[in-house]
Amino acid sequence: MNRNVLLIGLAVILPFLGLLFFALGKDPTRIRSPLIGKAAPEFTLRDVTTGEIVSLESARGKPMVVNFWATWCVPCYAEHPYLVAAARQYGDQVLFVGVVYEDEEEAINRFLRQYGRSYPALQDQDGRAAIAYGVYGVPETFFIDGKGQIVAKHEGPLDQATLQQYLGQIGVKS
Amino acid sequence: MKIAGNGTRIILLACLALMLGRSSGLVEAQDEIAVAPPSLVVGEPAGQPLSGEALDAETERIGALVRCPVCQGLSVTDSPAPMAQKMKRQTRDLIAEGFTEEQILSYFERSYGEFVLLKPPLRGINWFVWLAPGILLVIGLAIVVWFFKRSAARTRDAADQGESLEEPADPYVMEVRRLAYGDSEETGK
Repeated sequence: MNRNVLLIGLAVILPFLGLLFFALGKDPTRIRSPLIGKAAPEFTLRDVTTGEIVSLESARGKPMVVNFWATWCVPCYAEHPYLVAAARQYGDQVLFVGVVYEDEEEAINRFLRQYGRSYPALQDQDGRAAIAYGVYGVPETFFIDGKGQIVAKHEGPLDQATLQQYLGQIGVKS
Repeated sequence: MKIAGNGTRIILLACLALMLGRSSGLVEAQDEIAVAPPSLVVGEPAGQPLSGEALDAETERIGALVRCPVCQGLSVTDSPAPMAQKMKRQTRDLIAEGFTEEQILSYFERSYGEFVLLKPPLRGINWFVWLAPGILLVIGLAIVVWFFKRSAARTRDAADQGESLEEPADPYVMEVRRLAYGDSEETGK
């Protein structure tokens, strides 16, 4: 009888303990983006500095890097030089686009003057681009292949090696 | 004076025309700015466009079904986070355009995944989430019933045994008693 009680108790408790152990430590927002493998949402937005209208569609056939950032985002300062350098180096193979999330033109322009600029910085419209890409926070970077499909998403700041690896994934030759 | 007035009027009109021209130019430029039209993802609006109080009420209701991605278990209706406010504003715009609850939820789900739905839809593994409490309750009740029945049966067995002590019918028991006490006639009483 005692053995039966023990077995039934274990059968009930073990799955719950397993669930607590494996699932509770996870950040529920750190799930694989459902957009990976799907077509990158289109957007046509205005460049903060030049006023130029930039459309993702215009870059069809070319791989793209879409980086969501903001001047109030501290990790964005760390990755900015790598993105600027990569855009200079691989500009002929891949289109780099920055989408500025929840920020003001003046602050953006000051940031770009100070830290350099080699690709468009587009002002998001009411956060619509961020929502369409399922952005949780900045920085987040999407890597899109020549067919317009999202191949990878990176959350948090990029370093040179990681950026290089993602660029390889979308067919950029170094 | 009159001429001057006319002149001013003409200048004002010219300015107005210029402003209108410019502003219509701006509107055109703004029209070019577009982000992932939801109709591309979920099709044309399938409901009636709402406005006024109905729009407010529906925004609150549908917003309460959408999880704010940057909060801890809050809906976009309840959250003050900028991200949630933006999603709520888009929800409102979509309702105003006539998109239905189902279309709006699936639009957000496309970019954020099922995580964004505060009420998990009945499909796949979610069936377990919905049914598990009921199933566990039934199993629990069955265990309790089984336990009580068994202990009741035990008490009854014990009582039966008590009775049989007074009237030992089993020849095996009689034999044991005869061996233990020697005399079967006496214990038989």
